Amino acid sequence: MSKLRRREALWFYLFASPWIIGFIVFLLGPMIASIYISLTDWDSFTPPKWVGLENYTRLLTEDPVFWKALWNTFYYAAISVPLGLVIGLWLANLLNKQVRARKVFRTLIYLPTLVPLVATAMIFKMVLAPAGPLNDVLGIFHIPGPSWLLEAVWVKPALILLSVWGAGGATVLLLAAMKGIPRELYEAAEVDGASPIRQFWSITVPQLTPIIFFNLIMGLIGAFQVFSQVYILTKGGPNNASQTMVPLLFDEAFSFYHMGYASAISWMLFAVILVFTLLAFRTARRWVFYETEVK
Amino acid sequence: MTMDRAQYSRRGFLGMGLAAGVITLTGCGGDDSGSSSSGGNSTAANLVMTVWGGENDKTTYQKRLDLMAKKYPDIKVTLQLIPNDGYAQKVQTMIAGGKGPDIMQVAESVNVYSSKNQIQPLDDLASKAGLDLEKRFGSIGKLYSYQDKVYAVPDRSGAMIVYYNKALFEAKGIKAPTADWTWDDALGAFKELTVPGKQWGYAGSGWWAQWWSFVYQNGGKIIDDSGKPAVASDEVIEALQWAGDLIFKHGVVPTQKDYANMGADVGGDAAFANGKVAVNTTGFWGISGLTKSKIDWDIAPLWKGKQQAVTAFGSGLAISRTAKNPEAAFKAIDFLTSPEAQQQIIATGQDVPANIEVQKSDAFLKPAWMTKPVNMDVFGESSDFVYRAPFIPAWNEMQKAFDDGLADFWLGKQDARTALTAIQKRLETIVKPS
Repeated sequence: MSKLRRREALWFYLFASPWIIGFIVFLLGPMIASIYISLTDWDSFTPPKWVGLENYTRLLTEDPVFWKALWNTFYYAAISVPLGLVIGLWLANLLNKQVRARKVFRTLIYLPTLVPLVATAMIFKMVLAPAGPLNDVLGIFHIPGPSWLLEAVWVKPALILLSVWGAGGATVLLLAAMKGIPRELYEAAEVDGASPIRQFWSITVPQLTPIIFFNLIMGLIGAFQVFSQVYILTKGGPNNASQTMVPLLFDEAFSFYHMGYASAISWMLFAVILVFTLLAFRTARRWVFYETEVK
Repeated sequence: MTMDRAQYSRRGFLGMGLAAGVITLTGCGGDDSGSSSSGGNSTAANLVMTVWGGENDKTTYQKRLDLMAKKYPDIKVTLQLIPNDGYAQKVQTMIAGGKGPDIMQVAESVNVYSSKNQIQPLDDLASKAGLDLEKRFGSIGKLYSYQDKVYAVPDRSGAMIVYYNKALFEAKGIKAPTADWTWDDALGAFKELTVPGKQWGYAGSGWWAQWWSFVYQNGGKIIDDSGKPAVASDEVIEALQWAGDLIFKHGVVPTQKDYANMGADVGGDAAFANGKVAVNTTGFWGISGLTKSKIDWDIAPLWKGKQQAVTAFGSGLAISRTAKNPEAAFKAIDFLTSPEAQQQIIATGQDVPANIEVQKSDAFLKPAWMTKPVNMDVFGESSDFVYRAPFIPAWNEMQKAFDDGLADFWLGKQDARTALTAIQKRLETIVKPS
């Protein structure tokens, strides 16, 4: 290797070192440690006791709450992520039109993402109250509104509503991507006589797929890890109807002092997220288009 | 997209870190800087004391420590105040990281620590210091015990009491509640005080401290004397059913729906302060919330069932296993629970001091900050009725089992027997007899 290249490599590692050290010390190290912890019975105070795979077998065969939480997490992710994307896409498309006060709308739509979650949750508690504004609106259409946060059937839809409230984050990204689509494509389509709807499906959506894909992956990971909403709004209640994976492992680790068990849950969650992310990447080849890519 | 990315509440942040598949509790090994038993003096020490609470708690603890600094200048105690709902986690990580506090505040979950050998038995230290716990604190002297050893010295302690709306009582010509009221007397009064849909006789008893009182009044027990859960017994079922009937059969307690409609996080305390409910059962802290309320109120001891029984709230001070100088730490605790220091607890309106002498003093019975005459004798009167709540090591899990198992019951969708039978099964897997 030439002297210059070696020097360059040295600089590379020097500049990359904050990240490398951070990764090893704060992520890789604890991850490896947590594999070990997940194979022990550990209360975080006394020395861990080796139990082999017992935590995992207990999780998968004996713990009804785990399965409930897993199901709830799937339910939440399966609805909130696509719903958030569709609404984000819709809002972005609206904002992309030449409407008056577009900047104001853009700000308003992004604003909910900036409000601290605790404040949002407090407002949602009032909005979702049995005699709250949401049910008043439903009442206009003669739909008897449920007690959202109190009933096992309705508490998950209520959490999903709260997640949709934050769709503005995706909107901003999608809007930026929309602005980047070359005008020529639309002009050419117009000359060929394509309707606006046809233009949307044949130009806008395909051109946006990388951003949609990004939002899908981040959304999936975020949804599987949903914590604050659940913790503040319902604490997993009633009777674990809204309990999801991360609040469950938080309780096990920091409230019940079952560190080993909690680590096992976290690795199960890791596996679930990994599988879904891989699935998304696998299918991505079929529906995500990159402009520079030649097929 | 979810909202997680923008909102980093401390716990949320922690939770997200965990979810990456990691529990970041390792590393951070303990270095022993800061430990100094300098000088030849055996009690000279730098101690760390952890407590939970808010501003007023901080002020009160600090005032007591300042008094101590005057008396024992060689013991330095650094106060660490941790917000309520982060306390257990913070202390847990401090201990796991090898930097546990020397003195720590403990309460219902005391035996999480004692059963795992994280706090020290204090019997020997107490007898060496000549401290008679039962003389100083009465019946609750050995409240924080595990396997016949005392692990914490009571510091704050007050029974749950009845707050009643005097104006509403007088309007209906009902006499003030007394300790001799039976369940039927209470129910009768609640019925008279209820205006359907607008005003309720009683705030309800969905919290363990409330309905457990009725259980013990009825001769039931949550954990029996041999350490096994006993919640499916007829006494427990009857008591819980009575509490549930107040809501759904008699309509004298707001339902969860009613509460949710009063506003975000409105519970019994806030509903009472607004005059929406005529009677509320809670701890001493209700007073500070009511000194500014417009309603006319007073306090009374809890009514009785087959016998008197009432939950007590409080906390104690414990010495951690890793304390550098247990003798000095105990000396500090001894002083902090002495009448001189305990007076501060009532002077600032923080809580009920555990020291009996102070509870009977004028400083407690007529606090300077009280804006109206309040029957403070109630605390002394109630202290004889306090039952011994089961502070088992799996306290948090037990509470979660009740929360989960009673969710449908408090919605009126299940009867007490069904709910408690299921909870009993769950508890049998959680509670291991010691």
